[in-house]
Amino acid sequence: MELSDRDLVRRCQAGDMGSFQELVSRYHQKVYMVILGLLHNRDDALEVAQETFFRAYRKIRSFEGGSSFYTWIYRIAVNLAIDAQRRQKRNPLDFRETMDSAVEAQQETARDPFADVHDRELRESLIRAINDLTPEHKAVIVLRTIEGLSYKDIGEILGCSEGTVMSRLHYARKKLQDKLSAFL
Amino acid sequence: MRDCESIRESIGRWLDGELDTAESEAISAHLASCGECKKAQRQLETMQQALKTALLTEAQKVEFLPFWRGVQVRLARKAAWYEHPLARARETFTLSRAAWLVPASIAVVLAVLSLESYIPGWREGRNSNSFANVESIDAYGRNVALLRENESKTTVIWLYEDQEGENESADESAKSAPAF
Repeated sequence: MELSDRDLVRRCQAGDMGSFQELVSRYHQKVYMVILGLLHNRDDALEVAQETFFRAYRKIRSFEGGSSFYTWIYRIAVNLAIDAQRRQKRNPLDFRETMDSAVEAQQETARDPFADVHDRELRESLIRAINDLTPEHKAVIVLRTIEGLSYKDIGEILGCSEGTVMSRLHYARKKLQDKLSAFL
Repeated sequence: MRDCESIRESIGRWLDGELDTAESEAISAHLASCGECKKAQRQLETMQQALKTALLTEAQKVEFLPFWRGVQVRLARKAAWYEHPLARARETFTLSRAAWLVPASIAVVLAVLSLESYIPGWREGRNSNSFANVESIDAYGRNVALLRENESKTTVIWLYEDQEGENESADESAKSAPAF
């Protein structure tokens, strides 16, 4: 029987490294996706994702279970990613290159070549449009889109109210739709 | 009946499942009959799907074992000598717990400033690099000044007349004298 996150956290707090490994295995790709959505650079995203789990392990004893494990881990990830983004002065083209390879990978299995071109253009424009958003607006879009998290959970992760999440999401989506109107 | 503008404002929350049942049903009914709003809904869904697909494709390339090894390397890394005290300080002095630091800091600053009145010259005394110290002493009613030169351990003593004191006593005698 698969243990719940809460059980794994409890075991981990008791010093069971295997339980922590299981938690990392459950969440590493999701955490990486959120960070990549914010940082736009594959290598940086990987670094920050590993750092996220390292910090989580060091703080696991202070995790009291008031929130779910995933909200807690996403909070660490988003804070680290936003800090890293403010520090880094790298060219956002890195992310375009990263995302281009993702699009190419999809093309291999795609059927309609015209649809491929359209999809590729849409994604490239989407990445450019997302790059223009502030870290806070990016964070709500990424958390909502990837994980389908509720406004309440996103608010907990970002340390803001549900109303703020709602208005940030609305603003970010409108901005993206305006920029992508030619492709949608 | 809601207009298209207000419906489009709510489509995002409707897709997110953040509307109550009545509102949600109203949006569904409107979308079933309005082509333009339906198009706006599809645009939003296409956009979200494009982002999700792009990120998901990237994330699937991140294999667990190399990732886990990276985390293990970090866990095994010996913490720098300053990391533990810093981490402990950060945990201890959270914003709420550190509230007492503000009045405490003010009290310390006031204490330091008032020290001058209890120990005259203590601030000057801290400077051990000074060339010489001068102090004034009262030697049985005579004014004596001592100049101590630190390097050669030379002390120069001189007596002087207190002009100010004389003037004051002269003023006093003038006051007590008849005013004609």
